[in-house]
Amino acid sequence: MTTTRSALSASIDPAAEAVLDELILSMADDEFVIGFSDSEWTGIAPILEEDIAMSSLAQDELGHARALYELLAELRGAGQTADAIAYDREPADYRHARLLDHGRGDWAMTIARRYLYDTADGSRLEGLAKSSFAPLRELVDKIRREERYHVMHATTWLERLARHPGEPRDRLIASLEELAPDAATVFTPLDGEALLVETGLIAESMAALEARWRATITPLFVGLDLPMPPPGDLDGGRTTHGEPFRWLWGEFTSVRRSDPGAIW
Amino acid sequence: MTDQTPPDRDLDGTSDGDGRTLEPWEVFRREKDGDPMRHGGSVMAPDALLAVHYARELYGRRQESVALWVVRRADIHDLADPDLLQPPLDRSFKKPGGYVMRDKLAAARQQSGQAKPKARSGQPKRPTGPAGTADR
Repeated sequence: MTTTRSALSASIDPAAEAVLDELILSMADDEFVIGFSDSEWTGIAPILEEDIAMSSLAQDELGHARALYELLAELRGAGQTADAIAYDREPADYRHARLLDHGRGDWAMTIARRYLYDTADGSRLEGLAKSSFAPLRELVDKIRREERYHVMHATTWLERLARHPGEPRDRLIASLEELAPDAATVFTPLDGEALLVETGLIAESMAALEARWRATITPLFVGLDLPMPPPGDLDGGRTTHGEPFRWLWGEFTSVRRSDPGAIW
Repeated sequence: MTDQTPPDRDLDGTSDGDGRTLEPWEVFRREKDGDPMRHGGSVMAPDALLAVHYARELYGRRQESVALWVVRRADIHDLADPDLLQPPLDRSFKKPGGYVMRDKLAAARQQSGQAKPKARSGQPKRPTGPAGTADR
């Protein structure tokens, strides 16, 4: 944080600014990482139509990440850029949820992760729909309109895999079980988030948003007889990144690192 | 497309494909409000719901459509019989181009001594009379 505040941050309670920064960074990193993971299906998805659909969803997520990084750069001021925030950090400095750290996996894993993440993201976005920070509120309004389709797509596939006994259902359940301990890490509490709630930047605490998320997905999980993710250990839910993320980081930063400082 | 959870019959495959085999679906798209639906192309999908998803991605992801219709190709009744559509005898008399009225009208006017009526906007205003009596 610089001592001179950006024009954008002037409207925000100075004490809340660091937490808001952390919130926007975590949202941007979530979208960025799932976007890159899903883009790994380009060219190898089950059928051409799904290949285009999944690639398009991945692009949507990268688009959301870009908009969030741009907002963050403006908030920070001092010559920050979206690209620098997105690409010029070490793996340990990314703040995405551990849910997104399991590698691309098979199709069932991709669908399980997409469903858990998209629904959790939906709950978080709902909590920001009336944020007192207008630039974030306006961006969230646009993102929610696109995310609605993402949830529809993930739900369509989750239902199909769950309802076909044998390999589709078995693989789906194996993926849900692998992701279960990390499923709720999207709701990892932010340091000082009480201040965000007090100042109306977010409507509710992460714990309250998690409860909403569980209430949203329970009917479908019960209807399909799928294992609900148990309450997870959220300690380090956005700071401990494993080997699959280091590999992904190496991939998505490779071009930028090949010529540091180049103008693309 | 709605964000309601679709009814089971769309998911268990009893009414919209068997959910396991891919089949072609034809996609029609409206480019902007007021335009007619035009055929855009086709997608392969195992059922109606995924067909709509894929139509959205292939024919709408770049905001090039404001509405889509997705129809299972098997539900389309086609007609391509040349005897019915391209019969061998001369049919030019059925085309509107077969009736060229301009010359016939000109000849009729000349015969009757009537001039060609002027365009509406060129007509003089009607004389004004007491309200409501002008046309009686």
